[in-house]
Amino acid sequence: MIQGALVNLRPPELDDLDRDTRWINDREVTRYLSARYLVSRAAEEAWLRDHAGRPLSFSHAWFAIETKDGRHIGNTDLFEIVPEDRKANLGILIGEKDCWSKGYGTDAVRTLVRFAFDEMNLNRVELHVFAYNPRAVAAYRKAGFVEEGRMRAAHYAEGAHHDVIVMAALREGWRGAP
Amino acid sequence: MIEGSLVRLRPIEMADLDRYHAWINDAEVTRFLNMRYGVSRAAEEAWLAGRTAQPLSYANVGFAIDTKDGVHIGGIDFHHALPEDRAARLGITIGDRTYWSRGYGTDAMRTFVRFGFAEMNLNRIDLTVDERNARAIACYQRCGFVEEARLRQDRYSDGAYHDTLIMALLRDDWLAAQTAGQPPR
Repeated sequence: MIQGALVNLRPPELDDLDRDTRWINDREVTRYLSARYLVSRAAEEAWLRDHAGRPLSFSHAWFAIETKDGRHIGNTDLFEIVPEDRKANLGILIGEKDCWSKGYGTDAVRTLVRFAFDEMNLNRVELHVFAYNPRAVAAYRKAGFVEEGRMRAAHYAEGAHHDVIVMAALREGWRGAP
Repeated sequence: MIEGSLVRLRPIEMADLDRYHAWINDAEVTRFLNMRYGVSRAAEEAWLAGRTAQPLSYANVGFAIDTKDGVHIGGIDFHHALPEDRAARLGITIGDRTYWSRGYGTDAMRTFVRFGFAEMNLNRIDLTVDERNARAIACYQRCGFVEEARLRQDRYSDGAYHDTLIMALLRDDWLAAQTAGQPPR
């Protein structure tokens, strides 16, 4: 368990399959992700078996997000981790929509970034967020991320091209702590 | 063959192996690329075999850059072209350093960008470049690429962290430049 203020991060478990399958097929959730096509239970199970079956490590930093009373509400991970550059990209979803806008996502991001800097010894954590997701942009700012630029028309969805905002937190001067 | 003014783009062949192997082990060439470690001839051959085994297609677009008199001087490619977003990331290497700063890279870029928009029907082409690579940045600007983001401390080399720039060219801006009477590219 990695302890945050509102959430804990724990390894993914095969028992998460029902929730993961429901979330990845919920368009209200995935419209903010690069996931576009629906995912069968079989495909999700194969994916989860792969993720849950490998030990977590520098190159496989993948966590389930739980509230303090043990409810699994989402997932977060670091990917494209480069040891020489000491950098990674961050991904997150809060699949339980009644947990949106209550600080859980912000706390999960803070907790993972702190782990990335203080335990994995990374120097830079980057993320990409669609410009039509201001709720997430605000959460990332609260978690100490700074906008570095805007990739114009980089994402197409719902009949139009949309900008993608690049944000990053650097180890030096990180102000993600509450 | 895709014809430019100074260069033509053609499929990569196994016969190019010696040159690719020499370039990928030339520290001056790889300084600003994501290539830190040397590459054995066997590893380079395996890469080239994989690259040439499949027909060129939307998901596998990479060309050798030849001068008009047939000298192979580099390579150019799109990686992870996404059909839904109609976006792709461009990579270019002029491996033969005697052809640096003579307009060959710029012409290869213009030729390949035209192919991306006019044949592959892309809407966005972007690239990343090390902030210290002023020669490349100037070339990309000449081709219409605009800086969109500066990734701070993104890349470590030569004992320090360096920023990476994301630069991009959108289809509408490329089209406007064509009709504005710029050199037909």
